[in-house]
Amino acid sequence: MSKVLKYAFIIFWTLFVLAPLSWAVVTSFKTPEAVNQGATFIPWVQFDPTLAGWRDILGISGYTNLIPNMINSALITFFASFISVTLGGLAAYGLSRFRYGWKYYGNSDIIFFFIAQRILPPVVLAIPFFLLLKSLNLLDTHLGLILVLTSGLMPIVVWLMVDFFNQVPREIDEMAMLEGCNPVQAFRRTILPLSKPGIAISAIFAVIFGWNDLFFALVLTFANVKTLPAAVVALNGTVTPFWTLAASAIFSILPLIGFVFIVERYLAKGGFTGAVR
Amino acid sequence: MSLELKDLGITEGTDMILEGITFTFDPGRIYVLMGRTAAGKTSLMRAIAGLLDFTDGDMYFNGEDFDVLPTWKRNTSMVYQQFINYPNKTVLGNVIFPLLRSGVNMPEAKAKALEMIDKVGLRNFVDRKPGELSGGQQQRVAIARALVRNADILLLDEPLMNLDYKLREQLREDFRELFTSTKDSVTIYATTEPAEALLIGDELLVMHEGRIIQSGVPAEVFENPNSVTVAQIVNDPPMSILAASVSQGTLSIGHALNSSVPAHLAGIADGDYQVGFRASDLAIGLDGEMTVQGEVDLVEVAGSETLIYLNTPTGYTIVQEEGIHVHHAGDKVAITVSPQRAFLFDLTGKLIAAPGN
Amino acid sequence: MGTKFYKRLFLLPGLLLLITIIIFPLLFSIRVSFSSWNVSRSGLDYVGGANWTRMVSDADFWGSMLRLLNFSFGTTLIQYILGFALAFYVWQGLKAGRLYRLLWLVPLMTTPSIMAIVWRSIFREDIGAANGLLKGVGLPTIGWSTEIIPAMFSIYVAEIWQWTPFMFLFLLAGLLILPKEPFLAAEIDGASPSRTFWRITLPLMAPISIGAILIRLIESSKIFDSIFVLTSAGPGNATETPTYFLWKRSLTEFQIAYGATLALTYLIVMIIVLTIVARVLTYISRPRGW
Repeated sequence: MSKVLKYAFIIFWTLFVLAPLSWAVVTSFKTPEAVNQGATFIPWVQFDPTLAGWRDILGISGYTNLIPNMINSALITFFASFISVTLGGLAAYGLSRFRYGWKYYGNSDIIFFFIAQRILPPVVLAIPFFLLLKSLNLLDTHLGLILVLTSGLMPIVVWLMVDFFNQVPREIDEMAMLEGCNPVQAFRRTILPLSKPGIAISAIFAVIFGWNDLFFALVLTFANVKTLPAAVVALNGTVTPFWTLAASAIFSILPLIGFVFIVERYLAKGGFTGAVR
Repeated sequence: MSLELKDLGITEGTDMILEGITFTFDPGRIYVLMGRTAAGKTSLMRAIAGLLDFTDGDMYFNGEDFDVLPTWKRNTSMVYQQFINYPNKTVLGNVIFPLLRSGVNMPEAKAKALEMIDKVGLRNFVDRKPGELSGGQQQRVAIARALVRNADILLLDEPLMNLDYKLREQLREDFRELFTSTKDSVTIYATTEPAEALLIGDELLVMHEGRIIQSGVPAEVFENPNSVTVAQIVNDPPMSILAASVSQGTLSIGHALNSSVPAHLAGIADGDYQVGFRASDLAIGLDGEMTVQGEVDLVEVAGSETLIYLNTPTGYTIVQEEGIHVHHAGDKVAITVSPQRAFLFDLTGKLIAAPGN
Repeated sequence: MGTKFYKRLFLLPGLLLLITIIIFPLLFSIRVSFSSWNVSRSGLDYVGGANWTRMVSDADFWGSMLRLLNFSFGTTLIQYILGFALAFYVWQGLKAGRLYRLLWLVPLMTTPSIMAIVWRSIFREDIGAANGLLKGVGLPTIGWSTEIIPAMFSIYVAEIWQWTPFMFLFLLAGLLILPKEPFLAAEIDGASPSRTFWRITLPLMAPISIGAILIRLIESSKIFDSIFVLTSAGPGNATETPTYFLWKRSLTEFQIAYGATLALTYLIVMIIVLTIVARVLTYISRPRGW
């Protein structure tokens, strides 16, 4: 009996996961008339599929072109993630290996400071960031958004990587230091090669959160630099052409899925299981 | 090229980890640090390696202040008790690494590395990664890596602790052989096993609760432990300590056994004392004048010996017997005591007299 | 170049960058909350605690905080249960487990705001899939954006779809690290599957569970994208959450000073609540001697 429930649940959940995506895919091939008639589901049976929606978003029909937005998103996400993973990873390694302190504040307080940034909802910093970027002439620029996103991504990286580094036996970098490496060399030569899974996970989360940002893109960019989520949501504004929306939805999801699939293989190999028994 | 420690101490908050460590380690000698777990052996070694900062005192190497040098500038090697190797390098890669780091060129480094790998008997495993090796082999890689560059200071922190019995015995022998190649190094070897100290060490330092409580030639320290504490540390199994008193030429052990004062205790003033007996100096069931009744508490077969733990009216004793004997908890047996093998300590634990050998 | 130098080299670049980016905005927010900067009067004057008193009696604000309690805790709880169930089944061994694993992770790789648009199209009363299906099986249609409960339901659906995979991933990783020994012992002792789950699996998963729940609470408290796109906090302000409320006040009505006050209050409340929740969860799951 419980087995039936178990499989029913699994099948239900799988269908649930696929439902909105398949709806979006199907809808992306509909004509305006098909959409406005009411809900239709099966192509060729209930409506005639067309590539109009796709042509609309790829600049072919002149309606809009989401490709530049995708490029913007890619650039901004890449740099924000890169800076976050690099500086955050280094900071995490430091927090894992060294003891910092100033009066009563120690490592765990510093880590809490990093994590506390995530509690801040973007809106708390929206106006100040707006004014800050304005005074630096960085509004509506790639660099401005990159800096702002980095502040949100670094905490994630630090939190993940500190935990990860703590699990790599510190005797290994001690050994490297005894053998003549200064801490940077020790890190580079011994710990870094073992850190691929940790870096992969941090990179995945950084990229996902960076790519998905809507709020700061809305507040801090306007005409010159529009990221993909902002552009798509803007399409949602007035007339709600669902066929193009569906197409843009699918279009914007693909890069991220692609990225994760590429990086996923680094998660498999651990690497330090042979160091300590 | 001596390592000199002057009044070295480490205090962390309210915890005293090391205190008053004053000693000079000379090159070419093997020093064994003995002590119970948490006696400070590891902390001392880590302080020498630069991995732990000390709060008091000074450390000099070759007359120069060692303290200012960070770890990677001290020419020191270390072998840990958990087998630590670089997991993503092969055995050869592991052993070559320290040589390359100190600037030796590749061909020479390779030759030296292979030579050391041979010495530890891992020739057939040069291309394997540590993860594919057994515990003993992994530790041998670590040892090879530590020895290959002939560092000024060589530290070994209970390197054989995590290996099984047979492997330990074998590697102990190998160490004597291997350490001949480190003639110019200061070698410091930490262990809890007296057998290793006796076998390997030129000089023995006994540590307890962060201090060095005795130092000297191993055999010396064994024969003349300066306190009950030292006696307990350097004997495995620990000495049995019983109350005793001397009065008018009679040695009374535990108020149950009286004998005339043995030769090595002649001239001791009357009074209350403690006596200690090595487990191997006690026996069960032999006929003899000096017996104490005891009740077996626990029997332990270790290797080819049997250890019997007994409750007696005079105190808790441990007897070591050759061979494997059968005893059961609760058995009442007679323990034979040889007064001429008694170590006499005063009530504070200080040694008064020890039996000669 | 001693150890101190390298210590700093590792931590400081990242820490300083973060502090520089965050500290000015934060200090500015504090300062401006004591001013009266709004749409008609920009600039930093000083009005004392006027904004703060206004905040205390702002029913709309606290209403949104209560609603957040509902959304945040509600979605996190459901995500935890579902995610645990999914992770549990995969951990126990599921045919085609790897396939399911990859499939179930897809929602995590989607953009929430864009998926919200998709959900919007599903929940549209006239041409959406939800009502279309209901009509198809003869059931009455539902006013997804005109009635309170359906509106909340639609938010719940979007959030649960989006973030349960996170719980799934997190908890599965935790399950995979569990030692085998307790389970072997339970098997030898003849414990039933249900007993093994409640007495062994769940308690062993306590630290990971708490971590996952706290993370989701923190992240879900910022819920904005789905509210913005799906319901626009409607109907009325039935689905208005603090972030949306703040956004409205600060960025559409330009009540910058008051907005800053609200934001800081929100921050303080969140830190307090999260600390309490963390303590309570840790207390509940402390090991008890059986």
